[in-house]
Amino acid sequence: MGSRYLRWAAILVVACVVGVAGGMFGLGGGVLLVPLLVLLFAFDQHKAQGTSLIALVPPTGLLGFLNYAHAHEVAWTFGFLLMPGVFLGGFLGSWLAQKLSPDRMRVTFAALLFLIGAAQAIAAWWK
Amino acid sequence: MHFIAIVLGGIIGILVGFLGIGGGVVLVPAMVYVLHFGQHTAQGTSLLMQLPPLGLGALLVYWKRKEVDVAAGILCALGILLGGYFGSVLAIGTASRNLRGYFGLFEMLAAALLWQRHRAKRSAEAQRG
Repeated sequence: MGSRYLRWAAILVVACVVGVAGGMFGLGGGVLLVPLLVLLFAFDQHKAQGTSLIALVPPTGLLGFLNYAHAHEVAWTFGFLLMPGVFLGGFLGSWLAQKLSPDRMRVTFAALLFLIGAAQAIAAWWK
Repeated sequence: MHFIAIVLGGIIGILVGFLGIGGGVVLVPAMVYVLHFGQHTAQGTSLLMQLPPLGLGALLVYWKRKEVDVAAGILCALGILLGGYFGSVLAIGTASRNLRGYFGLFEMLAAALLWQRHRAKRSAEAQRG
């Protein structure tokens, strides 16, 4: 009983840290939440992804978003036009995830992400 | 520009469903490098895109397979909501160039975490024989 509450408290703390990163970088946080649920709380990969998706159903970025909107840092039309594609693509992607083993895909994605990140850090500070 | 938004949305949606992520991690660099948005505007627009529950279709598929921990999901939502406020305050006060650099470092960290999971699973499989 006690250990279950402890686990819930730990998940809440980790989620707060993920939220700070999410607000700071304009992300939903799933990219950090999924590996952390797996590494720290022994979630199975599919379950971590499903749990991340349910956590992103409420507008969790709202408080962060309002700060950006207040600072006039939002491209409204572009943002709205992205939505239908993301919604429909989400069906296709989740269907694919159940058909294939996402392991290879995830590693490819991790490698790609690392390169994008490195390019961005280099471009920001050494150019 | 409008056409790019719709196509880009579709590509990001596939990643959302496939990996259970919000998609901003790909969307923000795409807006900065392909469309030359400022770093802050790209991040604000990414948060706008994620306000409606666009992962709902994807979630349905996971839900049917019972691959969802509802209690953990609610706690995560709460934590992300609260943390997001403080994160955005930090971001608004950071110079665009530095923010772009930090974003890059963050992506490298996230990539390392995703990668590590793969290695951990492989060694577990090897132990099981």
